[in-house]
Amino acid sequence: MKKIILIATILCLHLSLVFSQSQDLNIGTIAPDIRLPNLKGDTVTLSSLRGKIVLIDFWASWCAPCLKEQPKLAELYKKYKDSVFTVGKGFEIYGVSLDSKKTSWKSIIKKMNINWTQVSDLKFWVSPVTKKYNLQGLPFNVLIDGNGVIIAKNLHGVKLEQAIDKILI
Amino acid sequence: MNNIKIIFLSIFAIAMTANAFQSVTAKASQEPWTEHQLLAPADLAKALNDPKSPQPIIYSIGPQAIIKNSIDIGPAQEKGNLKKLKQQLNKLPKDANIVIYCGCCPFDKCPNIRPAFGLLNEMGFKKHKLLNLPHNLKVDWIDKGYPITN
Repeated sequence: MKKIILIATILCLHLSLVFSQSQDLNIGTIAPDIRLPNLKGDTVTLSSLRGKIVLIDFWASWCAPCLKEQPKLAELYKKYKDSVFTVGKGFEIYGVSLDSKKTSWKSIIKKMNINWTQVSDLKFWVSPVTKKYNLQGLPFNVLIDGNGVIIAKNLHGVKLEQAIDKILI
Repeated sequence: MNNIKIIFLSIFAIAMTANAFQSVTAKASQEPWTEHQLLAPADLAKALNDPKSPQPIIYSIGPQAIIKNSIDIGPAQEKGNLKKLKQQLNKLPKDANIVIYCGCCPFDKCPNIRPAFGLLNEMGFKKHKLLNLPHNLKVDWIDKGYPITN
């Protein structure tokens, strides 16, 4: 009997651990905060954008598929920047770059005319943010509402646009 | 009649086998490397963790030389970096143990590994390998706890 109780306890502990880990980035939960410097070196937190719909875009200048989707992001930014949503007013993109060289990061932002928030600790794949958001590859993104709640994950192109359209007033 | 059937079936079987062989070789020849020129990350990690074992010369031809003891060349899709790699390779004997890696993206999307591996082939190296990172450096190297630079 004692053995059964012990096994059940271990199983419960294991399940709760697994459950709590997988809860981190679930839709409907609060996105973990990010505190990283922008190109000027000023810290910009994700939570400072509360009130707006935010697309957290994980990318890098060395990631070809990421660069390919930047024009689409520019289009969405222009389209929704000042829109009013069911849970938020305005749309912002919080670009988190996994670059390691500041010159590469800076020059691609200039070259592609990226005019939304950009942050990076220039630590490449060993940046703590990769663990926080359990990144397995690039590009990756998370869409959050004005309260910081995750609405969608890893949507691209038309699917991303449709997800934003859905929450327009 | 039976003989004709057997002959027909034999010809059909030979044709199918030849067709399958052709498609396999065509697929393999799309890449500048062969299957045995792919180095398993576990094997490189084992060598790096054992200083007594022969150490290969490791070049990063991608965004960052994160693997321990690797030399940073930079993305090989840029002509300047490919030239830099060539200058480094000019100093080496053709039988040198060379490993190159990128790890920015999955192999099919990586713009760096093909020009770099093609250069090694052109220069006549005999023991060069591509580190097999089918996903990226994080998933196939860092997350496995293999040695990285500080």
